[in-house]
Amino acid sequence: MATLTYLQAISAALRDELRADERVVVMGEDIGVFGGAFKVTDGFVAEFGTDRVMDTPLAESAIIGCAIGAAVVGMRPVCEMQFADFISCGFDQLVNVAGKMHYRQSLAVPITVRLPSGGGFSGGPFHSQNPEALFMHSPGIKVVAPSTAEDAKGLLHAAIHDPNPVCFMEHKHLYRRVKGEVPDGLFETPFTARVARPGSDLVVIAYGAMVEVALEATADLDGASVEVLDLRSLVPLDEEAILDSVARCSKVVILDEANMTCAAGAQVAALIAEKGFEDLDGPVIRVATPDVPIPFSPPLEQAVLPGVDRVKEACRDLLAY
Amino acid sequence: MTSSRTEILVDVTMPQMGVSVAEGTVLAWRAGVGDTIEAEQTICEISTDKIDTEVPAPVSGVVAEILVDVDQTVSVGTVMARIAAQGGPSDGDGDGDAPSQPPAPSAEAPAPRAEAPSPARTHAPGRRYSPVVARIAAEHDIDLSTIAGTGRGGRVRKQDVLAVVTGNGHGAPSGEDPPLHIESPYRPDPPAAAGTAAGVADGGLSRMRRTIGERMKQSLETAATCTTWIEVDMGRVEASRGALKVTALAFVARATIDALREHPALNAWLNGDDYTRVEDVNLGIAVSLGEDGLIVPVIHRAHELSVEGLGARIRDLARRARARELAADDVLGGTFTITNPGQYGSIMATPIINQPQVGILDLEAVVKRPVVVTDGDGNDSIAIRPMTILGMSWDHRALDGALAAQFLATLKRRLETVGL
Repeated sequence: MATLTYLQAISAALRDELRADERVVVMGEDIGVFGGAFKVTDGFVAEFGTDRVMDTPLAESAIIGCAIGAAVVGMRPVCEMQFADFISCGFDQLVNVAGKMHYRQSLAVPITVRLPSGGGFSGGPFHSQNPEALFMHSPGIKVVAPSTAEDAKGLLHAAIHDPNPVCFMEHKHLYRRVKGEVPDGLFETPFTARVARPGSDLVVIAYGAMVEVALEATADLDGASVEVLDLRSLVPLDEEAILDSVARCSKVVILDEANMTCAAGAQVAALIAEKGFEDLDGPVIRVATPDVPIPFSPPLEQAVLPGVDRVKEACRDLLAY
Repeated sequence: MTSSRTEILVDVTMPQMGVSVAEGTVLAWRAGVGDTIEAEQTICEISTDKIDTEVPAPVSGVVAEILVDVDQTVSVGTVMARIAAQGGPSDGDGDGDAPSQPPAPSAEAPAPRAEAPSPARTHAPGRRYSPVVARIAAEHDIDLSTIAGTGRGGRVRKQDVLAVVTGNGHGAPSGEDPPLHIESPYRPDPPAAAGTAAGVADGGLSRMRRTIGERMKQSLETAATCTTWIEVDMGRVEASRGALKVTALAFVARATIDALREHPALNAWLNGDDYTRVEDVNLGIAVSLGEDGLIVPVIHRAHELSVEGLGARIRDLARRARARELAADDVLGGTFTITNPGQYGSIMATPIINQPQVGILDLEAVVKRPVVVTDGDGNDSIAIRPMTILGMSWDHRALDGALAAQFLATLKRRLETVGL
């Protein structure tokens, strides 16, 4: 057990996997000699060599394509997209090749694609996005999004061990802000939701960086008992945990940092409407980033990203309903 | 369970119907003291300037007080009435313990659920219940109409029905009818005879007619009204308007704006001796409301709009005017007005100036006439042209006839060179 930041937990998971399993390789832009844009792979080349820690051209399609080929012949590649936003260049390889390989040819594609995602640091429209819903929509790809250091390590181990392509959404805003006790070893965090704080009057459903926002916003909400459910995994979506929370609380606020339309929360809301209807005691409320690019301007960015105040307001409003 | 209920008095205030509206007049009360009223149901009718509208009740409840008489004018925000909304008790609402006693989801649950597909049986008219409340009520055979809700607007929340199930409810059903509202000893006066057939035969004009009448009379008494006409060949407008899918009025509006920019003395207000030229052209467009009267919504900053933009705004304002959806600001701030009653074939009129403006343009029918046209070499011939007579009434206190004629000449030149 060690106290690690979210970023150190991801580094530790990669290092443990590289040490434990020779099939594991990591590849991406500037991840080798430079140690990665966020220093996740700092020092890896010295320990594991350039054959297992590969600097690639600036070509996301090539990174994912190579990883697919390597995976099909038995490797366990972990690709880093320098920013999650850049994955649009590798979309076809991931969605059409990796996602459908097993369906077409019964071949497993055990790749993990790491996506440093999210805003909050004035990165502007090309470095702040949350593209997870694009991959939720596409069959054959799992999508996970940890909110704590322990889950970052455990979900990354589970992603690398999983025989399917997995998008690992690691939130940049959490990298050095979130810190926690992390068990040693190759432990796996299951692809299920986690009750971050139990409650009974209302549940806020969130994942990634929005879990912190939800916890802060509802820590003391006029004495109301507010549950926070951390989804952790978006595909598969933990329907049982979601419906359990809805049955307990009957009022639901769903929080997304991604743009509102068709975000992960939209799927959660649809699930609740279909299977949790008889447990609802109010409208299902969504809080998300409006359908706009993320602005560079710090005040404008703060205005569009869901913050503590917006969540508080939404919760108070629904509690009073 | 005889815990006391709290009665919450909710104010009904004179609404803000536009940024520049400061007061409104109560036209009629639709509910009297002691009447039960539903949220959003109209409680009274009010009027500001030319806009009449209805005020919805903010909550369901019983009208407890009416503080403003009919025809009384009060400022925005003034409390006009109070509604006693039914609330729950003021002590703890049992949130904490309710979830520890969820309704048993086991064995017996499916049966009542299956045989109770008609939740309406347990529902009071006008109240709606969330799925979880309806389900718990059906499972436990609870008459929801007997439960006082603690949610917004008296809504029955899950906590409220669970409190009844677990027996510690503040809104437990009892044999007697619960006091759904507090009866007031006061009764409203019998409604005035307004709106009855006798009232109309009595010569009573509608409020809008009275307002129009007062305004028109006041304008004629105030302004030194003159009217000047000019003949305009609308051939180019007629040729262009099909392509843009707008009416001739939109072209005349655009040309009027351009002419006002050339002759800004006409884009002005005259209040007594106080003459103000206005920078923006806020163009009023008279819209007939049939027998009810006439209203002049204003296209603010009309000079920023193209012909198509003006056409779209005119359509929008006319539609909203006829649907009685205009906001108070939509009829304020006009600097010049166009009236366009030519659809029935009339060719000339002497419009009355919309005070405190100094001019009003009248567009009548476009009629094909034989006219003398002169070609580039100076040869005259007779041609059939779509002609109209534009008339402008103007205030001789603010300007003289020469300027009015120059303005009309500019307007004519612009309309006859549309698209050139």
